[in-house]
Amino acid sequence: MPTKAEQREQFARYKEDVARRGKSFYPYAMFHDTVMSLVVVSVIVGLACLWYFTSGEEAGNSGWLGPRYTEEADPGTTSFVPRPDWYFYFLFYLLRIFKWPDSVVLGTVGIPTILLILLFAMPFLDRRRDRRLIRRPVAVVAALLTIASMGILTYKGATAKESLASENIALVPEWVKQEKLEGKAVDGARLFAEVGCMNCHTYLGAGASNLGAPDLTSEGTKGRGIEFQKQHIKCPQCVNPSSQMQPFPNLTDEQLTALATFLEASKGPKS
Amino acid sequence: MARTRSKRRAQLEALLLAPVDWLEERSGLVGAVRYFLFRKVPRESNWFHTLGSATLTAFLVQAVTGVILAMYYKPDPDSAYRSIQHITNDLTLGWLVRGMHRWGASVFIILLFLHMGRVFLFGAYKYPRELNWLIGVLLLTMAMGEGFTGYLLPWDQTAYWATVVGINLNASAPIAGPFIADILRGGTEIGPETLARFYSIHMLLIPGGLAGLIVLHLYLVIRLGITAPPWSESAAGYDEPPRVEPERRGLVEPRPRGNGDGAVVAPRRRTRV
Repeated sequence: MPTKAEQREQFARYKEDVARRGKSFYPYAMFHDTVMSLVVVSVIVGLACLWYFTSGEEAGNSGWLGPRYTEEADPGTTSFVPRPDWYFYFLFYLLRIFKWPDSVVLGTVGIPTILLILLFAMPFLDRRRDRRLIRRPVAVVAALLTIASMGILTYKGATAKESLASENIALVPEWVKQEKLEGKAVDGARLFAEVGCMNCHTYLGAGASNLGAPDLTSEGTKGRGIEFQKQHIKCPQCVNPSSQMQPFPNLTDEQLTALATFLEASKGPKS
Repeated sequence: MARTRSKRRAQLEALLLAPVDWLEERSGLVGAVRYFLFRKVPRESNWFHTLGSATLTAFLVQAVTGVILAMYYKPDPDSAYRSIQHITNDLTLGWLVRGMHRWGASVFIILLFLHMGRVFLFGAYKYPRELNWLIGVLLLTMAMGEGFTGYLLPWDQTAYWATVVGINLNASAPIAGPFIADILRGGTEIGPETLARFYSIHMLLIPGGLAGLIVLHLYLVIRLGITAPPWSESAAGYDEPPRVEPERRGLVEPRPRGNGDGAVVAPRRRTRV
């Protein structure tokens, strides 16, 4: 680690070197800056044009770069799968890795906070003078690992299967076949696909695990009973105070029974 | 004749420069701009060094388009969605302004990351530029805050549900989490208060902070100078000063020249490093 005097001496040398050999900011560096700025503005205008001219006026009419807007916000729907802007994808994917409720704090707060602290602390952690990459193997490896993992997480977050109610309902016949469902359980399956369970839960590989809720493919093997399931759906916190699930107080008793029957009948795929 | 022309020109110049002189005398701004423009930057600075100013350009695009959008956008749940549709479909070039703001946001974030990557690879965060790195990281997080708050404003399904989840993430933090979530929502549910709050944060609080920090960031860049690339021949970056090739001498050493009194002035010595 360099001493203060060495650091100062090196910086003085830099100043002297620039004063002696440097070039004037205007026009040399400013030329590069101007060209680059024009490129940036052109790219932004280009993206805006591409987005607008390939999409239509109707909500959800998606062009190459997505729709102009989706339907108007409706707090009543429960079947819309949330999607953040792309630079939060890595965070969303972290949530699929860390499961609700034990370790989810790691994904939402822990890892981002650690990353932020590392970023802030970097100039104080790495105080060696040398700036050539070949002399900074640790920094280079750390940077490559960070870039790679952020890239992978962003890609995974971008391609993660979304579950839309319409897609989910299309899956019901497949579930009936694989899980050998019958009677009320089939009605329950349809409800399960519609009312928004799959915004948090997965079932036979479908659904979103954005919030890390448990997979329900084999829920029936836990032997919790239909009454428990009904109560739990209606008011999760009444049965399990630490539950993070949202209550569904508006479902009728008949719907609850169907859902509970479906869950109890789900004993994993039978071949 | 030549004399009258030059006299006239001198008068004209004095007239034109009067406001500049007036400003300089009272503020010193002209000198500051001159210093900014004609300061020396390392000989080896190159296209990589344009990422910072490119990011600034993206920010300015956001500022200008944002101001225009704010003239037409209505931040309440009953009319927000319709005002967005109006801006996109009816207003002259409204689509361009909104499109540039929307996609400019992504470009801004990408450039921030690229700029940060450049600074990291060049080791430009090292002494004495640590403080500027800290400001840069702060700028990055604030820009992501802009992304988060701006995403809700169109008040469509995507916006609404992404924000629901975003706020839930905040709520999962220990101790302060639920508290922060309540502040963000302005209540227990996402509604008019949330939208007004996000709008205010998005167009007043964070942009103000961003602008201030950007000025500070640039001030430090100018004060400390631009880091030369690590492969540069400049002294900075090397543990030992690089070897300087001996200067090539002319065939003859310049002869001492008399100055009339017979005194001999020594030839100017070339500085050697």
